[in-house]
Amino acid sequence: MTPPISVTGLTRRYRGHLALDNVTFDAQDGVITGLLGRNGAGKTTLMKIITGQEFASAGDVRVFGTNPVENDAVLRRMVFVREDQIYPDFKVGHLLRTASRFYPDWSDELADTLLADFDLPAGRPVKKLSRGMRSAVGIIIGLAARAELTLFDEPYAGLDAVARQVFYDRLLADYAAYPRTVLLSTHLIDETAGLLERVLVMDKGHVVLDAMADDLRGVATRVSGPALAVDEFTAGHPVWDSRRMGSQASVVVVGHLAEPDRAPAMAGRLTLEPLSLQELVVHAAGRPGPDAQMMRTSA
Amino acid sequence: MNTLINVARYHLAKRVDYLVLPWVWLAFAFTVDLVIFAMIPVGHHSVLTAHGIVQVQNTSPRDAGGLGAIVAIYFVLGIMSVAKSLPFALALGVSRRSYYAGTAVLAVTLAVGYGLVITALQAIERATNGWGVETHIFRVPYILDGPWYQTWLTMSVALTLLFAYGMWFGIIYRRWSLIGSIAFSAAQVTVLVTAALLITWSHSWRNTGHFFTALSAVGLTGILAALGAALLAGGYATVRRIAV
Repeated sequence: MTPPISVTGLTRRYRGHLALDNVTFDAQDGVITGLLGRNGAGKTTLMKIITGQEFASAGDVRVFGTNPVENDAVLRRMVFVREDQIYPDFKVGHLLRTASRFYPDWSDELADTLLADFDLPAGRPVKKLSRGMRSAVGIIIGLAARAELTLFDEPYAGLDAVARQVFYDRLLADYAAYPRTVLLSTHLIDETAGLLERVLVMDKGHVVLDAMADDLRGVATRVSGPALAVDEFTAGHPVWDSRRMGSQASVVVVGHLAEPDRAPAMAGRLTLEPLSLQELVVHAAGRPGPDAQMMRTSA
Repeated sequence: MNTLINVARYHLAKRVDYLVLPWVWLAFAFTVDLVIFAMIPVGHHSVLTAHGIVQVQNTSPRDAGGLGAIVAIYFVLGIMSVAKSLPFALALGVSRRSYYAGTAVLAVTLAVGYGLVITALQAIERATNGWGVETHIFRVPYILDGPWYQTWLTMSVALTLLFAYGMWFGIIYRRWSLIGSIAFSAAQVTVLVTAALLITWSHSWRNTGHFFTALSAVGLTGILAALGAALLAGGYATVRRIAV
């Protein structure tokens, strides 16, 4: 079966700047994939090229098996919700009605439910909405369209935590009832970790990690405790990161730890914590962020 | 085809802009013209001079400019149809080609409808001797002064031309903002100046003048149609290449 998105050797060059450098990946059908990475990693550019809004400098992009550029048959099966979407001067209701006409599977019912969830006034002009409300409009369109391929690029700028949770819940519920392929770029990795079935981490125009979320669970472990015991325990394991504070140490080891491996840890009063998706991404993206710098020496 | 209709309906969500505003604006210009021409007397009138009362022949033309209002607003609609509305259509999975074609279909359809209304207004103007004040608001000497079907055709073509011109401007503005629009205007002026220079150097002003004086109103409409088609093609070639 052809994957909904197939990208091979994709490069996008701007004047003096390489936004995408030889990117290759396939999206799986009916899976929610998280597109993670720092600002400027190339996530938005990648999504714009997939939806035919931007053009590739080199390489090949296939959506549903063919080139999406100016291809109505392919484009109409997609919806792309962008953080910086420019909307016409419509009222919210008009905007939703317009969007509904372009999608055969559009659900008015879902759109109305979401309008109520987000407390959005249908009669208000879009340009009078706050940033968070404008994000909510994009989310409603992205979900209610029920497009086979749904792309969200940082869709919740300005949305409060409650509204974000509404988005996650509704996305999961509607996705379960009407399966589709979702590509979601986000900075809020911890929040979305439970949602993502697959992660694609980008850094400086490269894909640096492409894995199923389940496979990443326990792929790296933080071992903390008395430095001597930690050193003894971690000897022979590949180490990602090592920090010391007085007599305490915290070391990240890579590789799954089987039960027998764990036994000495109990004796040495060591704490073993699987690395969270966010920490993994921080490591994969190459530059430790504030989270990784925080030393946790809890006993 | 369905997509084209959806694009047209997308624009018509702002029906006040497309269906009401142009006529309100035209009605205003019409009223202003009527007031002005009611003040300017027709034919002979008496003026008191040092030599006593003399009869003066009033020779000022009776052509008003109110029709320009609707032409101008159609140009602005062309700009807005792209500058404001293109990015959202692309987000909804509409190709640039479909967007452009759907917008053009709407523009032509409206132009034909508008043209028909203008034609009717011109007929009323003729029947009422220039709205009672002998003015020509919907008649323009030479180009818009023929039989009704010719007025209809010329008006439709002229409005489409202006919309296409506006669309191209809108596309340039969408992608390259103000600097692009200025460069685009400069390029047009350059083309015109180059043409003038070429005509001068080849000593063809006489022929050029002759060409235009010999041209019938229908012939001029044909030239406008060709120009409109060129503008549509130019806008299409541009929109296919831009990322928004």
